[in-house]
Amino acid sequence: MTTEERPKLSNKDRILMPHQEMPLRPAESRVLNFEEVPIGYSAEQAEKEAMRCLQCKKPHCIEACPVGINIPGFIKLIEQGKPEEAIKVIRQTNFLPAACGRVCPQDKQCQAVCVVGRKHHPVGIGNLERYAADYERLHRKMEMPEVLPPTGKKVAIIGSGPAGLTAAYELVTKGHEVIVFEAFHRAGGVMVYGIPRFRLPIQIVDEDIKFLEKLGVKFVYNMIIGKVMSLDDLLEKEGFDAVFVGTGAGLPRMLDIPGSNANGVYSANEYLTRIYLMEAKKFPTYTTPLYSGKKLAVIGAGNTAMDVMRTGKRLGADVTCYYRRSREEAPARSEELKHAEQEFINWRWLSNPVEFIVDENNFVKQIRCEKMELSEPDETGRRKPVSTGQYFVEDCDTVVMSLGCSVNPIIPSTDKMVRTNKWGVIMVDDATCQTSKKGVFAGGDAITGGSTVILAMGQAKKAAAAIDQYLKGQLTEEAKVPTDPNYSVQSWKPASRKAEKEGQSVDAR
Amino acid sequence: MTTRVEEISKKLQEDSEEAIGEVLDRIRLMEDLSAEEKLDLSKGLTSILYHHLHSNSSRMLKLAIRAEKRIAKFGPDVIPFLFEEITDVDGESAAYLGKAFCKIGKPGIDYLLQEWSRFSDNDPALINLLQTVSYYTVPEIQGAVPLLVAASGHANFQVQAMALHAMGRILERSNTNLIDRRLVTNLFDVCFHALAHAKPLVRKNAACSLGKMLRKGILLPDEEKRVRDAFMSITGRDEKHNWDRAFIVRKEAELYLSHFHPVAHDGHGYRQTFRIHTKKLLCPNTYHFIVEAPFIARKIQAGQFVIVRPHDTSERIPLSICGWDREKGTLHLIVSAVGKTSTEIIRMMEGDAFRDIVGPLGERSRLPEKKGTCVVIGGGYGTGAIIPTALDMKERGHKVYGIVGARTEEFLIMTDELKAACDEVILTTNDGSKGTKGLVTDALEAIMLKEDIVHVLAVGPVPMMKAVSEMTRPFKIETYVSLNAIMVDGTGMCGACRVSVGNETKFACFHGPDFDGHQVDFENLMKRQKMFVKEEQAAMATLTRLHNN
Ligand SMILES: Cc1cc2nc3c(=O)[nH]c(=O)nc-3n(C[C@H](O)[C@H](O)[C@H](O)COP(=O)(O)OP(=O)(O)OC[C@H]3O[C@@H](n4cnc5c(N)ncnc54)[C@H](O)[C@@H]3O)c2cc1C
Ligand SMILES: Cc1cc2nc3c(=O)[nH]c(=O)nc-3n(C[C@H](O)[C@H](O)[C@H](O)COP(=O)(O)OP(=O)(O)OC[C@H]3O[C@@H](n4cnc5c(N)ncnc54)[C@H](O)[C@@H]3O)c2cc1C
Ligand code: SF4
Ligand code: FES
Repeated sequence: MTTEERPKLSNKDRILMPHQEMPLRPAESRVLNFEEVPIGYSAEQAEKEAMRCLQCKKPHCIEACPVGINIPGFIKLIEQGKPEEAIKVIRQTNFLPAACGRVCPQDKQCQAVCVVGRKHHPVGIGNLERYAADYERLHRKMEMPEVLPPTGKKVAIIGSGPAGLTAAYELVTKGHEVIVFEAFHRAGGVMVYGIPRFRLPIQIVDEDIKFLEKLGVKFVYNMIIGKVMSLDDLLEKEGFDAVFVGTGAGLPRMLDIPGSNANGVYSANEYLTRIYLMEAKKFPTYTTPLYSGKKLAVIGAGNTAMDVMRTGKRLGADVTCYYRRSREEAPARSEELKHAEQEFINWRWLSNPVEFIVDENNFVKQIRCEKMELSEPDETGRRKPVSTGQYFVEDCDTVVMSLGCSVNPIIPSTDKMVRTNKWGVIMVDDATCQTSKKGVFAGGDAITGGSTVILAMGQAKKAAAAIDQYLKGQLTEEAKVPTDPNYSVQSWKPASRKAEKEGQSVDAR
Repeated sequence: MTTRVEEISKKLQEDSEEAIGEVLDRIRLMEDLSAEEKLDLSKGLTSILYHHLHSNSSRMLKLAIRAEKRIAKFGPDVIPFLFEEITDVDGESAAYLGKAFCKIGKPGIDYLLQEWSRFSDNDPALINLLQTVSYYTVPEIQGAVPLLVAASGHANFQVQAMALHAMGRILERSNTNLIDRRLVTNLFDVCFHALAHAKPLVRKNAACSLGKMLRKGILLPDEEKRVRDAFMSITGRDEKHNWDRAFIVRKEAELYLSHFHPVAHDGHGYRQTFRIHTKKLLCPNTYHFIVEAPFIARKIQAGQFVIVRPHDTSERIPLSICGWDREKGTLHLIVSAVGKTSTEIIRMMEGDAFRDIVGPLGERSRLPEKKGTCVVIGGGYGTGAIIPTALDMKERGHKVYGIVGARTEEFLIMTDELKAACDEVILTTNDGSKGTKGLVTDALEAIMLKEDIVHVLAVGPVPMMKAVSEMTRPFKIETYVSLNAIMVDGTGMCGACRVSVGNETKFACFHGPDFDGHQVDFENLMKRQKMFVKEEQAAMATLTRLHNN
């Protein structure tokens, strides 16, 4: 497309254009390695898909985007064949576009409300975002944003997941000195130790980190704040003017059933961390071991479970998923579920594990499940699994429990001023993300107990704006932090009525 | 030939593993060997080495390593013999002889330097000699550098390759503080130049040696940058995208590129270098390290631990702390080599740096509320780990007994330091070679008989901690044990360290590492520790392989 103007097409023409499917590597070969599964749009595909956007006057998609990307704006530029301009529009509000284009649950956010999606397939917003971001990466068109003159204020960011990185970006461009403290030896949070490389190649995260370093953000690794320095140390001794806590949700939930502590039973966090952060997939060149057997049982059906299953498949296991509800209730993003289904996974819906049977050396050898059935929908419309009293046993030599996480307790447990609810989630002022401790702000999974990359980013932006005001002395109001220990921040609400009707849980895991 | 030597050579002719084992035992006990006897025995011993090379048995491998040690013990007398042998055999045999040779130390180097020129036209001999040089870990070997540089310009590319290999090795295995800066520059230039060589083997070895220099952290910033750029281009990651056509070269560069990853960013004032200040042998395979980690040293408390990663490819392993210096910013660690990662650590030299150390992790050791008699019990590295807690107890006015147990006297470690921390220390050995003969529980029982104990802390092998807990259980004496579960992150993120305490699942890294010994399910812990035995052996095998070639 060379014309500057949008081609003169009626909305009807646009709607009737076919949706461009994301090309994928074939399932047979992709399960043999950790290369990325979707290949990405070609320029032609991207422009065709971009034509499907109606350029709504009041675009719902922007409202549904947690960081409010100007979606029709960037799509228009792609249609005009100007991806390098499109990416600039995206970057105005989202500085991790390559990651978000790949891992955001668009089908529950922007694409769920897209007007085109009412009757047809919604515009592939995520795919287009990814296309623009990849264009920028591959052509090295990354432009440095404007950085305001130094303010002399210093901010500590704790945790280098999406929340921490976003806060760092927002604050460094405002001219503050920013130091990120990370517990691990590598930055990126869940993006490096959880989300598989075949969904989000590590180079992308590394490039984003380098970009921040170029902007002047400093990263300090191997620093567990709370242990090596307390929040008070940072604020009083080390001279930080404010702190942002983006420590994520890192405490895995485990089933408490017989055999839970058997050998070969992992949490999803352990399994994925060993493989990705510690590179156990390259064992023994990298020393970290993984007892990965031939028959892997995965408990749960969220995004993390899909990631575990597909990872196990790539390590050569025969993988079976056990979930106590049915496929319709599976909380995973539909695309993930689809990709997993293509990859030869066995499914045991309505199966509730009740015991892991072990051999004489305490290695798991079988899994025992109870068959479940679904109740009639209750008043919330959700159908609950109920026992049937029937059991079955299947062989397995590795089990991974993927049941979500609770919040990493190190910060709140070492600073009693930071108030949490009874589940350990850090409570903040809704408007400013301030915690109950003065000068300390929080965002990401640490305040939601587990959500998504983009939500973490959205909160971090909110917090960063508030921190900026706070540093300028403009944030004078007392923080309104809930005191009720039962209070819980709602995760991202389903944006569309359709999603709501389907009763999908939006918890990313 | 003297009669005893003659007997031995007869025995050797039996040609069985049993006979060889017996011979080795006998030689070990022989005293005042004459020079001639040593020579005769060496001949027999080298035949064992050659024998091993044609056998696949792991027992034979162990025997060969013992034979290697025995030869080395003969000292300077056998240098000329070994030297001639090395220059006369195949590379694989020469590897074992070379290791024996280099253990003799400085006299061997002098001889080698002096005789070297005889072989300048004998390529196979030269290769074997270069290989021998690569085994040295003493600073004197730096005298051989001019020879290496000369050999790197030799006509035969295999000689060149071995010379380049040796350059990396001797730098890698030297004490960083003792490496001459000019020498590094010299070797850097040679290796860097060789990256453009026509032969892949030469390029690979050059890349490998440069990688070792990098890993060691001895290059200047601009040298580092040149290596990085070169490696980027070898792996096809630069703008030009024309990578080295040889896979072995790319693979080597790929491996070391990872070491560039998050280089601790300077200029924020939070840099910790994790350099090893001192390294001291405590007993076979166990060393005491003093390591720089100022931020951790500032905060650490008795009973807490750290997680370390020696190299970029290593596992994260937990280590207890046996002391610290808050002013100097150092931690004191004890490491026993039991598997790959711990072996990697004990092979590090003073001046080397750990890749990562993170901490302090876990909760501090509990102290009894009531004033009274406390007993701290240690075995292995645990002997060090109990010292800080003993000091804490004493400071609070408790009377502190220390009990240390070991197999034999040789393995009793840190006893002086413990004595300084306790009111009284009881040493026990299984064979009675020092202190009381018996187990730590015997010593504990003796104290229980004469005094009321308010608190016991035991750190060491699981069976020991279990036995101690069983001993105190009937008397309801508060007993804590430090659980050494397998860990990954150490922050409560993964659950690898799950232990069962009082029928509840706890995370050893976060809720512990100390738990009430009467509540702990030791069986489960022991079984969980065996989770990765096969993988650990596979990992260890790669290290042995690396070590041997
Ligand atoms: C397997 C998996 C797959 C997922 N897939 C998706 C997906 O496809 N799409 C999506 O949108 N979301 C997905 N999520 C969720 C998403 O990754 C998280 O919501 C998001 O990463 C939260 O970001 P965060 O910055 O709050 O926390 P994290 O990414 O968890 O980062 C927290 C960081 O803080 C560090 N830290 C913790 N404590 C301390 C401390 N005391 N001191 C210093 N550093 C500390 C941690 O090491 C970590 O690096 C997935 C999650 C998992 C586990
Ligand atoms: C809190 C804590 C403190 C520790 N402090 C020290 C210390 O101060 N000094 C020290 O030398 N070691 C200490 N250990 C043990 C140390 O972490 C292990 O020796 C180490 O992980 C072995 O790693 P490897 O790769 O060398 O051996 P691997 O190849 O992983 O293991 C070899 C063998 O060692 C044993 N092993 C493996 N992991 C452990 C473990 N976590 N604990 C005990 N045995 C194990 C197993 O039997 C295994 O078969 C501590 C462990 C914990 C949990
Ligand atoms: S809602 Fe759909 S059609 Fe409307 S602007 Fe957004 S992407 Fe385009
Ligand atoms: S080591 Fe990961 S939770 Fe304890």
